[in-house]
Amino acid sequence: MLRNKKLLYAAAIGLVLIAVFVPLPSLTLRAKGAARGVMAPAERGASGLWQRLSEATAAIRGIGGAVEKNRELSHELVRAQSELNRLREVESENLRLRRALKFSQASPHEMIPCDVVSRDISGWWNTVRIGKGLRAGVRANRAVISPDGLVGRTTEVTPLTSEVLLLSDPACRVSARVSRANVFGLVRGAGNTLKGHPKARMEFINKDVEIKVGDEVVTSGLSSAGGEFPPGVHIGYVENVYQDDSGLFQYAEIIPRATVGLLDYVFVVSDAKEAE
Amino acid sequence: MRRRVLMVLIIGLGALLQQLIPPWPIFGGMKPPILAALALHYALRRDNRDMWLAVCAAAIMYDGLEMGTFGPALLAFPIIGVLANRIRTEVFSDGLVSQLVFGAAIGLFCCFVTLLIYTVSGQRPFHMGLALTRLSGSALLGTATLPIVSRAIIGLEAMIPERRAYGWQ
Repeated sequence: MLRNKKLLYAAAIGLVLIAVFVPLPSLTLRAKGAARGVMAPAERGASGLWQRLSEATAAIRGIGGAVEKNRELSHELVRAQSELNRLREVESENLRLRRALKFSQASPHEMIPCDVVSRDISGWWNTVRIGKGLRAGVRANRAVISPDGLVGRTTEVTPLTSEVLLLSDPACRVSARVSRANVFGLVRGAGNTLKGHPKARMEFINKDVEIKVGDEVVTSGLSSAGGEFPPGVHIGYVENVYQDDSGLFQYAEIIPRATVGLLDYVFVVSDAKEAE
Repeated sequence: MRRRVLMVLIIGLGALLQQLIPPWPIFGGMKPPILAALALHYALRRDNRDMWLAVCAAAIMYDGLEMGTFGPALLAFPIIGVLANRIRTEVFSDGLVSQLVFGAAIGLFCCFVTLLIYTVSGQRPFHMGLALTRLSGSALLGTATLPIVSRAIIGLEAMIPERRAYGWQ
């Protein structure tokens, strides 16, 4: 009996160790999808309740009526900002004919509006969960933006929900460009400050190009982690510039402007054809 | 049966609450270990079968909602459950001092196991300073969480009427 019990424990520990250290992404994602699917209605309900409460509080404070309007305007602002970014890119190329052609084309990207329904459960990752998944056309490794700029990218997409790896997470890497100097680099998360503000770092910047504090950093549009990021999306501003230890590159500390809270709504940039 | 259903519902509610609470940067971005506290609470007060149900539900919920591989809770919670269930007759689990000590222990242990798994598997970068902040932060958060969680569940369960054991009246 005792021997059987020991064997059972050993088998259980062996199974857990296999689950932990043997990468089985599809199986893991399926199991996570089940757990997240069970929790999704409760998360949505809790976040909806919280949203109503905060809206009611705002209405009591005397700005009632403006809440709904504010939300609509924010949606509109993101679309307008996205369009503006696209136009900036075109303008910088200074090709009138190509620009005219692009005007005639429909925007290559479609925005999927999503509510943020919960945060990471442990605090080990800088992630939020959005209330839309595969069924709404969300795919992995797509840019997630808010009215303030780039928020992060989608990672674990299940049928009903998607995890968004925030820009401040060290695992989030985005190909970026310093607008003024037109120099490229790689932005990666650097955690949060003690006050909870996100931090990021732009690495592998050409050491011969002068980078100034306050320079704007935007997405380069080059492929990032196998996904598609639209060019020209605002990431943040350069706060400090340092020389790399190797002396081959320089790197810059960036303060990302887009911080996302539990009650926010974000947009997943998706390929129009996929979303249909 | 009703208590088991309530137990699983409370674990679901605990998971929801743990997600909604924002991380505390001063504790290395850690959150109060509500699910670990629930697993420990049930392991200290219920029989072996209930303990396994609570531990498995809490671990699957935690790892299912967490990024990365299935693992930290699946490894840590059963160990907490088995150890607590084994000593439950020898400790005064309702005492505040016991709860403070157990709370710190589960916070520290869960954080250590997670740190170990994430470092070995290369999922998270390792920084000594941040790791120490997280370990001490988790211990403190565990200390504060377990007594609150424990008292809340005892209060909640006290509201459920006991079923009479001698048949229908």
